Parts: sequence; structure tokens; C-alpha cells
Amino acid sequence: MSTTHENKGFWHRFFFSLDHKDIGLQYLITTMFIAFFAGIFAMVFRIHLAFPDYHIPLFGIIDAKEYNILVTNHGLIMVLWLSMGILLATAGNYLIPTMLGTDDMAFPKLNKLSYWFFLLSVIILIISFFLPQKGFGGGWTLYPPLSVGDFGYNTPYKTFSDRFFSSNTFVLLAIALEFVALLMGGINFMVTLFNKRAKGMGLLQVPLLVWMIVIASILFMFSVGPLVAGTFMLLLDINAGTGFYDASRGGDPLLWEHLFWFFGHPEVYVILLPGLGILAEVITTNARKTLFGYKFILVLVLIATVLSLMVWAHHQFVAGVDPRAATVFGILTIIISLPFAGVILSFLATLWKSNLRLTLPMKWAMSAIVLFTILGGFTGLHLGAALFDMYAHDTSFVVAHFHYTLIPVVIFAGMAGFYHWFNKFSGRELNQFLGNLHFWLTFIFFNGFGIPLFLLGLAGQPRRYAGYDHIPYLSEGYLPLLREIATISAVILVLSQFIFIFNFIWSVYKGKKVTSNNPWQSTTLEWQTSSPPPHGNFEVYPVVYHGPYEYNRPGVDKDFLPQNQKI
Amino acid sequence: MNTTSLSKIAWNRIPQARFAMWTLIAGEFVIFGGLIVVYLLNRMKYPGWGEMAMHTNVVAGTINTFVLLTSSFFVVKAHEAAVKKNVEKVKFWIWLTILCALIFLGIKAYEYTHEIHLGFTLSSPALLEQGKHVETLYWALYYTMTGLHGLHVVGGALALFFVMRNVAKTKSYFHRIEAAGLYWHMVDIIWIFLFPLIYLIH
Amino acid sequence: MKIFPENVSVYGDDIDFLFWLITIVAGLATLIVLFLVIYPVLTRKKHKAKENIYVKGEGFKQLKWIYLAIFVMAVADFSFLIIESDGWIKTQETLPEKDFHVAIVGKQWLWEIIYPGPDGKLYTSDDVKKFNTMIVPQDAVIHMDLTAYDVLHSVFIPHARFKFDCLPGRKITRWVEFTKSGEYPMVCAEMCGVGHSRMVGKVVVLPQEKFEKELAKIYKK
Repeated sequence: MSTTHENKGFWHRFFFSLDHKDIGLQYLITTMFIAFFAGIFAMVFRIHLAFPDYHIPLFGIIDAKEYNILVTNHGLIMVLWLSMGILLATAGNYLIPTMLGTDDMAFPKLNKLSYWFFLLSVIILIISFFLPQKGFGGGWTLYPPLSVGDFGYNTPYKTFSDRFFSSNTFVLLAIALEFVALLMGGINFMVTLFNKRAKGMGLLQVPLLVWMIVIASILFMFSVGPLVAGTFMLLLDINAGTGFYDASRGGDPLLWEHLFWFFGHPEVYVILLPGLGILAEVITTNARKTLFGYKFILVLVLIATVLSLMVWAHHQFVAGVDPRAATVFGILTIIISLPFAGVILSFLATLWKSNLRLTLPMKWAMSAIVLFTILGGFTGLHLGAALFDMYAHDTSFVVAHFHYTLIPVVIFAGMAGFYHWFNKFSGRELNQFLGNLHFWLTFIFFNGFGIPLFLLGLAGQPRRYAGYDHIPYLSEGYLPLLREIATISAVILVLSQFIFIFNFIWSVYKGKKVTSNNPWQSTTLEWQTSSPPPHGNFEVYPVVYHGPYEYNRPGVDKDFLPQNQKI
Repeated sequence: MNTTSLSKIAWNRIPQARFAMWTLIAGEFVIFGGLIVVYLLNRMKYPGWGEMAMHTNVVAGTINTFVLLTSSFFVVKAHEAAVKKNVEKVKFWIWLTILCALIFLGIKAYEYTHEIHLGFTLSSPALLEQGKHVETLYWALYYTMTGLHGLHVVGGALALFFVMRNVAKTKSYFHRIEAAGLYWHMVDIIWIFLFPLIYLIH
Repeated sequence: MKIFPENVSVYGDDIDFLFWLITIVAGLATLIVLFLVIYPVLTRKKHKAKENIYVKGEGFKQLKWIYLAIFVMAVADFSFLIIESDGWIKTQETLPEKDFHVAIVGKQWLWEIIYPGPDGKLYTSDDVKKFNTMIVPQDAVIHMDLTAYDVLHSVFIPHARFKFDCLPGRKITRWVEFTKSGEYPMVCAEMCGVGHSRMVGKVVVLPQEKFEKELAKIYKK
């Protein structure tokens, strides 16, 4: 690895660079590129639901088959590529080495390889849209037997090449490759945390975000294994004629559900933990207070991590598992909500009696907490009660619930992090006016989209339907109006993200140059180097004397004490 | 770039390659763990599988177990040589390990051809014709588990080969022998789990 | 403005009650969370003494409020669980004595309803198959055998608050009892392919005498 700071060409920077910051940028651009399409998909199918006769530009009037493809790929991309790509890969790559005060990841080449696998998975996913099926449309949970066959597309599989060059196979291959990419990334994060901390930095002086990303990576590794095996079996079911999920041959469709949700539920925490880590950083910096209960939060998160491997069947209360097992899973589900309540309360205790600064990142962070707790967390209690879940399962209520858990974590906390660290890694400032506009539009229209969905779900609207107008009980009263409100809000929500993209690109090239290396007056190590950090991150490698959140410490003149500064 | 201050940092707290390899091994065990759980659950559900398990070649399986165990011993010897930085010895023991891997794959290939000859394949259409639907699943899992393990044997042998070649060329990177060796032990241990499950329980 | 569809089953009220119970308790918790977020925003810039706000949150004394909150939440959660477990056991784990038995088979993309035929027993040669419309008696315990031919489906009768998946290769029996006659939709709630949204059937609940007449008509054809 070259240790000189050189001006690199485009190809070098975007394809062959070993620098963690370049790889972080590659992840960011790739995920934003693919998420752009997922956002467009959401807009198109929401418009189709509320205004089925409207001729959508570029898409026309979509039919049920196209609708399924759009919904499926929206879910797959948002959950597997966007969420993990931003919160694990991008945040991990940019922030772990800089926060630990070191030059790079433990294995830069492995890091590079991990990105290449990620890119390959995205390419294979894109190819799946150009195969005879025009994309996979069996639901993002890929439940067999539907995902084994042609799911009613009238493109029957006759030969091996029909089966192999089908959207089913390619989507599964893309998922498998993405898992490989993130496993490699996770190994890197873990080794970097344990081996490459700055001198003097104890394990309990590591910023919480780094811990959260590493714990999330470990959780990912332990939960994804069975699904990797399951994906392998599903690929064989499609391509080699085995019957792992075929009931007529002794297989069991429920097996996939178990393997999938054994990964799928911890996956929620894989996404949630880095989000909480970002919130911890942004909140302490802007509240000018030390984080309340650093060790307490770590212990709670570890408890929740272990518990999260034992709650998967609450996704299957009415899917044919033994109802007595449902009771056990219901109890565990309720228990797992408690540690997260503790984490959120610790954040709120950090805010208490603080001289907080209501900066843009802080607005994102506080609204993330409010939305996640109230509308994401508390509706989880409804769904965790198996009896009510019998009614609400697979209705729009569930859709609203998981959008209220994922969007506050991925979009709101993610944006909090983005607006917080942008000036560090670009050396320029974002436009504040556009930032505020982006925030308020997102906040208002996200709720305008989510709250109607709760009501629609309570009215008994099943999810994944390509239109409801032919069903009498769903097209009377205020329900069509609710769908229209949700649709218009969703469209504005997606469109307002273009403000962000514009702001991002414009600020990278034309934004005001930063005047200070530490504009937020933050304590962690990434703020103690120049903006943007040079190749190798630090001119002089820092030595750490304190924990990460020394704000307003008695006996110190300033209201913050950087980790590498002696009292 | 100020490289001197970087080297002063006490950062190789745990040998890096070994740590990463243990993490990878943990991940691999979960993958095979998933398959083994699926196998055991089905095994308890379908008594007909015992009859199918009779068709596996226990002798070949036993020989293969010994081959892999021996190869693990060779890898340990290679590691010993690597600690002493003895390139020639490293090369000798690794070549023996790779030879064992080839023998293992050869015997496995012989078993596969024999079983395919009897009509037991991934999808086993012959069994389906006899109305033995559930039994086809046994062979599907048999090929999935041993096939995936076989791929790991190939991968492990390739890793050993490239690491050895690099060590021979550069006369350094001896710690990589240990990492690749750890991976090889994992391949061995997974077989120790698979062997009784597939071959011995009737 | 009504939130739920009209309830017509014997256990629907339990489910609606559970929803409102959790919503009210969560609503109280919401007020607390909102207060804890908004109050610091309103009173920012007021806290001067550093000793007062440098609190690390270690040890029982500092964490006592959080422990208390978690404890209260645990109590509330487990009360929900105890309250709902009655209903769960009633609807899922027990099968009351049946008055009428019918099989529902999910199929891309329609509901196949199998009536027991004149002998009153399912899975005999005189079973009668009908599509998409299921007639059942009012105020009677109806056993439904749920299964599917091809892919996963899920029977969802919103007005009865009933939902359960239909899986190929399994026959799962669940029950429902309607308290009011009328026509109610029966939709599919598990992604089953292109026709998923067209897989809409209906349940026709009839008073006992009318039901017997209708059933006889079906059997005659």
C-alpha cells in the first residue's frame, strides 16, 4: 500500500483504491444508485394503488405482474442493499478507522474485495430485470414454493438454461453475493476494532458507534449462516430439481420461513444498532453532555443481540407453527423490547438538562428517536401480541409498522449522520437552507404516508395487493381518501430526497470550504484531524487519554475535551 | 506521511490473520450448522431415511475420515516448520496435505459415481418413479452437504497451495500458513460432524 | 368514522379490546416520551453548572429512573400477554365441539371450498366442491381445514378477525363462529403470485334454516 498522499485518477479512486475512505465513498455511491431505483419503484406502485387509471410517465399503467416486481424489488433493495450498505458498509468504512485513530482497516485488500462482491451483487440484481421474467416478483421474503416456480408469469421453465437464466436464480445469487460481501466487511470491522485502536484507547473508550457496527456485524454473521444454507437449497430447488421446500417430496415450505426469519429478525437489529450508534454520537455532541450510561447501553445491546436470535417465529404466528410455540416467542418478543426501551431512555436522559444545540443533524436525530419509539416501537407491542397479530398480520398495519422502524433508523438516523460528518469527509459545508427544507419535507410527508397506512391496516387492507378498488369493503368510506393521502405523501417523500441528492452533489463541488476541522466541537478522534482527512487519516497518530464523550466536564475550561487531549 | 509514529502504536494486540480466520470459521460453522439442523429434523421425521443411509459406502467414508485426519496432522507439521521458518519443510508438509485433499476428492468422486449409478442423484427421478418421494430429499441433502463440504476441501487446498507458493517465493508471511492451516482444520472438523450423521446412523 | 370493520365473530371483541388497551397504554407512554424530548428543547441554554449535567449514568443510583421505567414497561407488557393469552388459547389452541365442518383449499388464484356432502363427513366420495363462495350457518362453530395445492395462501376474513395461512402438504384446522348473518369478504393475505389481489372470495353467513336450504341446493346440483 502506498503511504504517500497522491492525487489519484478516477479509475484508481473508484475501482482500485485500498483507502477505506474511497471504499466508503464507493459503497455510498453504489447504494444510493440502487436505492434511487427502489425509491422510484415505491413511487410508481403507490401511484398505481391510489390512481389506477393514471398513466405514469415511463411506466404507463402497470399490471399486477409489474406491480409485484416493483414491490418485491423495492423491499429487497431497501432492506438488503440500502440499509446495510449505508449503515454497516458506508458508515463502518468511513468512521471505524478514523474514530479509532488509525490509518486504515486491518485488511485493506479484503475490504476492497468486499466492495467488489457488493458491486457484483448489485450488477447481478440489475441483470435480473432483463431476463425473461423482467424481474423477480415473489415478495421480498422469497417464500417458496412461489419463488421456486415461475409465479404465474407464463414463462414455464423447460430447460436448465430457462431455470438458471431466470430472475429467481439471479436474485438469489445477488443476495448470496451481498451476504459474502458483508461477511468479509464484518470480519474486517471486528479485527480493526480489536487490533488497530489508537494508543491508549481502551475497549470501553471506543465510540459507541464503532461498537454498534461491530456487534451488528457479529450478529449478522451468526444469523445469516442458516439462510446461506437455505439460499443454497432454494437455488438447488430451482435449478436441480430437488425438493427441499416441496411438500409433495417431504420438503417443507415452513423450513424457508424459519431460516429466513432466523436471519430476518436479527437483520432488523443489524440495521438498528448502527443507527443507534449514530444517534449516540450526534446526540452527545449536540447536547453538550456526556452519554448517559455508556456501559449500560452496551450491556443492554448485548442482551438484545442474544435474545434477537430467539424471537424469529413472531413473524409466523399464523403461518402454521404450533400455537404453543407462539406463546413462547411472544414472551421473548416482549422481553426484547425492554433493552431497547432502556437504550432510548438513556438517550433521553442524555438530553435531559442539556444545553442542546438544535442543529440540523440534531433535528434528524431527535425525530428519529420520536418516530422510532412511538410509532415503530409501540406498534411493535400490538404486533407482538399474537392474538392481535392474527388480525393485523400481512395487512398495511405491518407495512406501516416496519416502515416506522426502518425509515427512522435508516433515513432519519442515517441523515443525521450524513449531515453530521459530511463536512469532515468532503471538506465542505452543506447548504443549510436545502438541508432544512429536506428535513421538514421528509418529516411531514413520511408521517403523511405512514399514519394512513396504520388506519388502512386496521380497516383490514391486506398488503401486496395490486389495487383495492375491486374489493367492496376496501373501497368505501374514507379508505380511498387515505390511500390517496398516503400516495401523494409517498411521492413527495421520494421527490424530496432529490433535494438531498442535489445538495450533496452541489456541496461536494461548490459548497463553502470548512473553516474549522472541528465545527461541532466534538470530542472523538475523527474531528481531531484535517477535513478531509489525508491518506492515512492523521499527520500524527493520536494518543487517547479519555472516554469518547467528555462534554462539560467539571474542571475543564472548554465545554468539550477531545479524546487525545490531556486535561 | 508520518509512518514512524504509526509503528510506535501497539496495535497488533491479537495476531491479525489468526483472529480473522477464527471469525471466518465461526461463520462457516453457522452455515453448516443450519444444514445439519435441517438434516437432523428431517431424519427424525422420516424413518425411511435410514434405509437410504444404508446405500452410502461406509468403508469409503471411513477411509476418507482417516485421510482428512492424517492431513490435519500434516498441516500441524507444516505449521511447526513455519514457526521455525523452514521453507523446504513447509513445502513438503503442505504438498502432503494437498495430496490428502486430492485422495479425499478422488474417493468422494468414486462414491458419487457409484451412487449416481444406482439412481441416487440430486433430484433422484428413479426414486420418484418408485413412489419414494420423501427419500429423494435424503439424497438431495446428502449431495448438498457433502458437495458443499467438498467445495470447502477444494477451497482449503487452493488456499494452502497459494499461501505455500507465496511463502516459498518471498521467504516471509509464515503466519499465513497458520491461518490457512486453521481453515483446513475446520474443513476436517466439519467432516467429523458429517461422517457419523450421514454414514453411520441407520 | 370506524376504525375496524364491523365485528361479526365471537372472538372479535377480544381482539379489538386488546388493540385499544395497548393503544391507550402506549399513548400514555407516548406523552412521556414527547415530554422528555420537547422539554429539553424548550429549556435549552439554561443549565450552567457543569457538575449538575456531567452525569455518566453509572451505578444503580443514577440509573434508577430507567430501571423503574423498564420495570413498569415489563409489567404492562406482561399484563398484555396474560390478557391476550386467554384469547389466543381460545382461538388457536382449542377446538370447540363442531357444528359444521368445511375445508378451504387455496389455489392460484381462487378459494376451493369443500363441503362434507350429504353424509356430513369431509374427505368422502360425496364431498361437494365449490369456488370462492362459502356458505356457513350463523351462531355455529365452524371448523375449517386449511390447506393449499400450489403455493402459500392465507385465509383472511376481516369482519371475523380471522386469519391463517394455507400451506401445501399440511392440513390445519381452525375455527370461527359468526354472530350475524350477511356477506363478508374472504381475501388472501399471503403473496401468491400475479393473481394475489384477485383472490377475493366471500363468506355468506345464513341463519340455520336458510343455511340448510341453501346447502341442500348445493348438494342437489
